[in-house]
Amino acid sequence: MGPSLLLYTLRRLVQAVPLVFVIILINFALIHAAPGDPIDFLLGSSDATEEYIAQLRAEFGLDRPLPEQLLAYLGKMLSFDLGYSLRFREQVLTLILSRLPATLLLMGTALVVASLLGILLGAVAARRPYSATDNVATLAALAGYSMPVFWLGQIMLLVFALHLAMFPTQGMMSLRAPREGLGMVLDVAHHLVLPVATYSVYHLALVFRLTRVKMQETLALDFITTARAKGLPEGRVVYRHALRNAMLPVVTVIGLNFGFMLAGSVLTETVFAWPGTGRLLFDAIQARDYPLLMGLFTVLSVMVILANVLTDVIYALIDPRVVYR
Amino acid sequence: MTKLSRRDLMAAGAATLAVPGPVLAQGTPRRGGTLILAIEGEPATLTSHLATDTPAMMVANNLFNALVLLNEKLEPVPDLATSWTVSPDGRAYAFELAQNVRWHDGRPLTAADVEFTFNEIVAKLHPRAGSWWPNVESAKATGPHSFEFRLKQPFAPFLTMLGSVLSSGALIMPKHVYENTDARTNPANQRPIGSGPFTFSRWQRGSFIELNRNATYFKPNRPYLDRLVFQVSSDPAARLLAFERGEIDFLHWYIVPYDRIGRLRTDRRFRLYQKGDAAATNGLMLINHRHDRLKDAKVRQALAHAINRETINQRGLFGEAKVAKSHVGSTIAWAFTDRFDYAFDPAKANALLDEAGFRRGADGRRFPLRLFWASGRDYEGRGAEIIRDNLRDVGVDVTVQVFDRTSFTDRVFRQWDFDLAMQLFTTGPDPTVSVTPRYHTNAIRRAPFVNGMGYSNPEVDALFDREPTITDPAQRAQAWHDIQRILMRDLPALPLFELPPIHAASARFADVVTGPQGYIENRENAYELR
Repeated sequence: MGPSLLLYTLRRLVQAVPLVFVIILINFALIHAAPGDPIDFLLGSSDATEEYIAQLRAEFGLDRPLPEQLLAYLGKMLSFDLGYSLRFREQVLTLILSRLPATLLLMGTALVVASLLGILLGAVAARRPYSATDNVATLAALAGYSMPVFWLGQIMLLVFALHLAMFPTQGMMSLRAPREGLGMVLDVAHHLVLPVATYSVYHLALVFRLTRVKMQETLALDFITTARAKGLPEGRVVYRHALRNAMLPVVTVIGLNFGFMLAGSVLTETVFAWPGTGRLLFDAIQARDYPLLMGLFTVLSVMVILANVLTDVIYALIDPRVVYR
Repeated sequence: MTKLSRRDLMAAGAATLAVPGPVLAQGTPRRGGTLILAIEGEPATLTSHLATDTPAMMVANNLFNALVLLNEKLEPVPDLATSWTVSPDGRAYAFELAQNVRWHDGRPLTAADVEFTFNEIVAKLHPRAGSWWPNVESAKATGPHSFEFRLKQPFAPFLTMLGSVLSSGALIMPKHVYENTDARTNPANQRPIGSGPFTFSRWQRGSFIELNRNATYFKPNRPYLDRLVFQVSSDPAARLLAFERGEIDFLHWYIVPYDRIGRLRTDRRFRLYQKGDAAATNGLMLINHRHDRLKDAKVRQALAHAINRETINQRGLFGEAKVAKSHVGSTIAWAFTDRFDYAFDPAKANALLDEAGFRRGADGRRFPLRLFWASGRDYEGRGAEIIRDNLRDVGVDVTVQVFDRTSFTDRVFRQWDFDLAMQLFTTGPDPTVSVTPRYHTNAIRRAPFVNGMGYSNPEVDALFDREPTITDPAQRAQAWHDIQRILMRDLPALPLFELPPIHAASARFADVVTGPQGYIENRENAYELR
């Protein structure tokens, strides 16, 4: 990484600060505009007295005017205090940090698997367009691209967990016989298979389709003809010369997709009882847990922004032509 | 990976062979085993003093004890209290506590803990304290292991109330842990030190809560199980799959889908328990008494005649429920009467609507109504569709609208912006605590699950106020019959169905549910069959 790239990265990060601020304002407005009252959820089915409800409101600062609540929130954010969850009665930051590793594990694995497999399959399919292999792969990708995540998750469970009994249905580890050390790693990996498969299908299909099209375009360009004319082996032409060029837009899309994957984690984590931030978000919405929702949206927004910056950096690393100023 | 899955396949095959045969030998309870229970959401705390949600109560009851519990007939039986006496005037309740109870950290549990719990925690913090605590004059330790309540006036359901932890929140908490702290934020709320049959082990956020056997529990030979694990599982379909695959051993009643009960009943791998009358629940259709058509009693009675509640039971709940014939649950046998119920009679409904002056227009319609329900309980949605069809037949044009639960609660109980709404209300363990707070005039408040219908009748209010002070059971039952006569005539809500509390457990375990608390009771009696 040259000094100009480092400067560019820093500048992008500084530029992101006002962006995060605007995101917080928008989130605050949206969350408070939604109908419903967190107090109703907290009370559950109980018949609480007026005094008790007022006491709860005061405890969580919900009795104060909205602008005042917003100012108090922004003030606390400066010291990385994301507030106190109404639903879970716990510090928001503690809650999010306790759930983030599970989501990162699931999403990271899915992202890597889907990207590598998608690029590889795309390149293979592009070598013989409209062949039987290509047609089957393209059709499968279309199906994968169109399938709703929650439905696919249920089907995966029915087939691989219930009927074939190959994988567990729920959670991150076996509860009946907890294991330690390597046994635990294998246990988590075993639990990871179905959610990762479900989670990566859409992404895999997207990367495959894009790689295939870009490879086809690139393979028709003059420099490929030149490379072939030089007598380079076909494998080298396809994977070194063509793929490296075709991958540039693919990298952009993978980076942009990060946000969509975070959104998809809500459904996947709910179906597979995966203890990550997606399900935490689901619980927070149900409970109208304002501080937790704000905290989650802010942390997730920051992650998306970071992913975008990272995408640009990777772009520079694989494309020497890109000059950053 | 291939190796792993093949081994798993073999394990699954072996498990199929090991399914218990038709002879379910109960045998003598044995030590050992892990019971995995599903909870539909993650609780906020593992104590009962701030919560009324099922997941929190399911865990807390295993970590703590109450003074008394309830038996099948909803009568009090010993838990921490070994015996008790009630004074002849019905105003003093004296308890003797077990002497050998220790907190999980080894300290002895005494009457000082009980005194602290009621005065400093339950009275000040429990969401439902308002429904019974105002009757208490004093709650005092009268010795190291004796304790006394004095009431301002007789309160007939007092012991039932104490025994129904969901209603009173009255699990005894350790004074030495909570004294001089803010009990709302005390870290022990998430890592409790209790006295119960199981001790807190760990809480993997978003995933599971693990409890271990309390080896020094004060009840001899209890508990049998080594471990309890509460698995957070919020997706209904996936949860059911996990249960059928044997990853989860217990589903409590309202997370067992009614359309699957028939199948689970015939599957020998599972055992169904129908117990839990302390939390008996009715499905009702709330009627907004402020609506300019619905404020006419004849119109409300017409709706009652027009709706086929047996169809709702058959098609909405697959015949697993019972038609509700009163605002009091039929399982509260001493109070319940079905004398004032309505027959399904569309002709009568038409006649009543004509009489009320709402004749059919040229298009056959009389007037429109909106019927709301909250997503999450499919049978309420199916019920709403059936009601729409039934009411259309008598010329009432119903639009069904669904909201997410929090929006629904806001709309119905805070904005009062509804005509008809589907809602569940508990009817157990005693109507004073479950029925009165819904229909009393003083319950017309902008708060969840109270009298959002705006129903007010001074005659029934007077009965509500007088009834708990009646110490003669027969007279008190008569008062409740009078109340039901008025409620069924006035119809603040139309009772639709009684939900049966059917729990599903793996047949590898016995006595998972033994009492009327059903789903939230402690598992000190449960054991694994081998």
